[in-house]
Amino acid sequence: MSLSFHQLFVFGVILLSCVLYVQGQSYEDARCKCVCTYKNGTRLVKKLRVTSVPLSNDCDEVAGPVEEIVHGNTTQEMCSRCECTYESRNTNIIKFVVIIVIWVISLLVIYMLFLICLDPLLNKRVKGNYVEHTNDDVSSREFKIIDDISSSSQAPGTSHPMGMRGSNVLNRVGHQQDKWKRQVQEQRKNIYDRHTMLN
Amino acid sequence: MEKRPLKVSSGSAASNTPASYHATDEKVRRIRRLSNDLVSITADQYGGSNLRSISVSSDDEMIDITTSGTMTEHTLGDHHHGGGGACGVYFSGGESLVSVDSDEIPGIGQYEDFHTIDWQRDIARDRMRHRYIVKRKQKSICDLVRGAHDAWSGWLCVLLVGLVTGGVAGVIDIGASWMSDLKFGLCPQAFWLNKEQCCWSWSSNETSIEDSRNCSQWMSWSEIIAESNTGAGAFIVSYIFFIAWALLFASLAASLVRMFAPYACGSGIPEIKTILSGFIIRGYLGKWTLIIKSVGIMLSVSAGLSLGKEGPMVHIASCIGNILSYLFPKYGRNEAKKREILSAAAAAGVSVAFGAPIGGVLFSLEEVSYYFPLKTLWRSFFCALVAAFVLHSINPFGNEHSVLFYVEYNKPFMFFELIPFIGLGIIGGVIAVIFIKANLYWCRYRKMSRLGQYPVTEVLVVTAVTAVVAYPNPYTRMSTSQLIYLLFSQCGTVKDPLCSYQFDPTLNGSGGLKPGEGLYWAVFLLILALIFKLVTTVFTFGMKVPCGLFIPSLCLGGIVGRIVGIGVQQLAFNYPHIWIFSGECSTGECITPGLYAMVGAAAVLGGVTRMTVSLVVIMFELTGGVRYIVPLMAAAMASKWVGDALGRSGIYDAHINLNGYPFLDSKEEFTHTALAADVMQPKRSEPLSVLTQDSMAFEEVEAMLKETEHNGFPVVVSHESQYLVGFVIRRDLNLAIENAKRTMTGLRNNSLVLFTTSPQSPLAPHSPPPLRLEKILDLAPITITDQTPMETVVDMFRKLGLRQTLVTHNGRLLGIITKKDILRYIKQIDNEDPSSVLFN
Repeated sequence: MSLSFHQLFVFGVILLSCVLYVQGQSYEDARCKCVCTYKNGTRLVKKLRVTSVPLSNDCDEVAGPVEEIVHGNTTQEMCSRCECTYESRNTNIIKFVVIIVIWVISLLVIYMLFLICLDPLLNKRVKGNYVEHTNDDVSSREFKIIDDISSSSQAPGTSHPMGMRGSNVLNRVGHQQDKWKRQVQEQRKNIYDRHTMLN
Repeated sequence: MEKRPLKVSSGSAASNTPASYHATDEKVRRIRRLSNDLVSITADQYGGSNLRSISVSSDDEMIDITTSGTMTEHTLGDHHHGGGGACGVYFSGGESLVSVDSDEIPGIGQYEDFHTIDWQRDIARDRMRHRYIVKRKQKSICDLVRGAHDAWSGWLCVLLVGLVTGGVAGVIDIGASWMSDLKFGLCPQAFWLNKEQCCWSWSSNETSIEDSRNCSQWMSWSEIIAESNTGAGAFIVSYIFFIAWALLFASLAASLVRMFAPYACGSGIPEIKTILSGFIIRGYLGKWTLIIKSVGIMLSVSAGLSLGKEGPMVHIASCIGNILSYLFPKYGRNEAKKREILSAAAAAGVSVAFGAPIGGVLFSLEEVSYYFPLKTLWRSFFCALVAAFVLHSINPFGNEHSVLFYVEYNKPFMFFELIPFIGLGIIGGVIAVIFIKANLYWCRYRKMSRLGQYPVTEVLVVTAVTAVVAYPNPYTRMSTSQLIYLLFSQCGTVKDPLCSYQFDPTLNGSGGLKPGEGLYWAVFLLILALIFKLVTTVFTFGMKVPCGLFIPSLCLGGIVGRIVGIGVQQLAFNYPHIWIFSGECSTGECITPGLYAMVGAAAVLGGVTRMTVSLVVIMFELTGGVRYIVPLMAAAMASKWVGDALGRSGIYDAHINLNGYPFLDSKEEFTHTALAADVMQPKRSEPLSVLTQDSMAFEEVEAMLKETEHNGFPVVVSHESQYLVGFVIRRDLNLAIENAKRTMTGLRNNSLVLFTTSPQSPLAPHSPPPLRLEKILDLAPITITDQTPMETVVDMFRKLGLRQTLVTHNGRLLGIITKKDILRYIKQIDNEDPSSVLFN
């Protein structure tokens, strides 16, 4: 299990670095958007003009030239008004977020495919291990109680220490995964089979 | 359990008068005062006397214990108002204890899945913990710091919730808008930009507004594949790509939800409402739900389905609140306290969904929260503020606003326009009722029939139909948020056929309102879009993908409003001499169709959800104009009246009812003349399972646990007298017995189980050591008499947040009323199936 996670992680890092390497045309992070209204003949015409500005500037300087251009192009210019707004954005955040989203979705899809295709094969081995526990009445109850406690505290870091069973990390991960699978199974039963919730 | 509890009385009986309560909720306080008499009599008579016999330790002894061993605090008498002696803090020098507020037996104070919480018990537990910390504050610097941390942890927690919620909302906004545009094309040079961002700084030369929509940097799929942008071939290629992407996104969303977190489907607001009213749904606010809901909502919005991400944002924020509350044991381990954080989180959710912090707080207050003291109001306010600020600084849409359809409005409205606004409210209410009825019918059909067995197929079919029908109509092809933006905006800022007026020079002044060909066509398309959206939303809401309702209902109302607005405008343009249009408005220029769209949107949303105050505030925060409060209020009110007259409840309450969640609505009145004895369990001639305080053997208790399925057992003095001592919750009893089996030596089947510290008959000299369980006993259960009218009982349940109440007659225990009994009774008198209540 942890192996596949590891591989996925490496895959993700490679993907991420590839994506970061492919730098497209640089997109400015600030612009001035001016909507200029003037009269052409008797009707009102609106023109849009977008100018990129350095970050420190604002639209005051841009508005002047725009007005001149408009003046130059129209003959019967009566009055022209430009409403300029300074707008800024951060393309790096957008890039970062979109890449993270792609990454998360692909991770989830890969994990889903893994659970659908490979896990039933791998699980045959684990099953035998698991039955031993449930045979013992007391320990299975205890098991349930601990389940209850740790499932109620879902935050990382507050999980109940499970020193009594196999203390190595792999076992614990496997155990957590089993517990989670049982919970999801229960949720599926509630929603898709019995239709008691979220209809 | 060979520990000697030392009791430190936390105050004399005099200091526990009702005046010293710390409860902030005025209602709770009032009702508690009413019920105080009953309770204190019970506790004084039966429980209190036992406790008072325990010696009170001096402060010195307490310090000794503090320094020598770990401390445990245990709440014995839950309701500290229940008689002077019933409350106390127990310190015991123990060896296996973890932290200050943990109970001795792990898991006590938690609840099982699908159970209701006992607000009183949890609040009393928290008060005990708080008192303990305050008491220790003077002892050392470390304790002082701990006390300070405890005091500010609520604020810290909501701060973190706000920060994370803002961040997650930013990610969802950016991701969803990018993926939505992926259906149409790609920005080849920077694939991570959506269409608007791709063309953001495109036009270096001046352009007219219509050109700004097609920039050369954005390439549609037909351009990439067929290298042409016009003609039938290009249309077909784009059409196919549109459908293919929609199906891909929808299938991903549905299968991710099915695979990882089935609880992530739906809007989540009915469930959040139920949870906040004191219900436990394990895993509903877990981390997998958070991840899958966030990813799933991006996918399902991008799939072009008729749904929005605003409702699920409330669920997402609540998940964040739940997860982060575990960082603070004060909230993580106390379900009643945790709900304060969840209320604040819900406010943050709406705050980021609409960029409306105040609206979010009011939404939490009006719609979702059940218990909302002032302290929570301030925390919600702060949480919403932080979340809105974070989202604003992420600036996901590049327009300096947190929503795509933000519009700036400053046009005045005429007085006579209130009439069409109220008319819009009525239309909105009617549409909302049609929608609710149809949607409920469809959801019930899905629940009962074979359709429910094919959740993923259903999603795919609906997506395919939506995509196929939506693409040819430009108004349904664009994303719903964009459509709302278009409907809300004024002519001149956007270029659309909706604004295609012909200029007629013969009319002096403003000849610009003569409708062009494009306008008629646009209105026709809008009517088609209205029908299409209404039908698809009925089928979409309730599918097994994350889906919200705000955006579709805003859109429905927006379309209606825009059409009505155009109608009124043309009326004023064509008949300028009607007296209402005379004066300033003789040309029709004063009518702004966008404003009508806004009012219509508010009307439909108000009709669907039955919100009023929060809806108006959200709408005016969306538009940044305080000027339109009156029109919005008029429409929201009219819509609510019409909605209430035609249909009984809003969509969320209807879904709560459909699912049978145990939600005791505090808005509805209970008007039946039943008495407690009619509702009480057990019915006549059935025995009541009770425990006795000092005469039951261990095996008898175990046998009773095996034979019955009750969630709690009253404890009486003896089977003969039936005098009430207290109440034990099944889960606590189970945990305590498991714990005793593990830790206690010499426990045999014939050991006595004692729920009292001073048994009436002394133990036989050679008997096995008794199992002492007095610590898990609630000595102050709420009791009523059998002649109490049910109105009072229901009020007590609502306002005190009770889980059960015991019914006595002449001081003897007669029966028990649980929340489940009340809900079933209400269903029964409403002629509905009482077994549909989801409850354990």
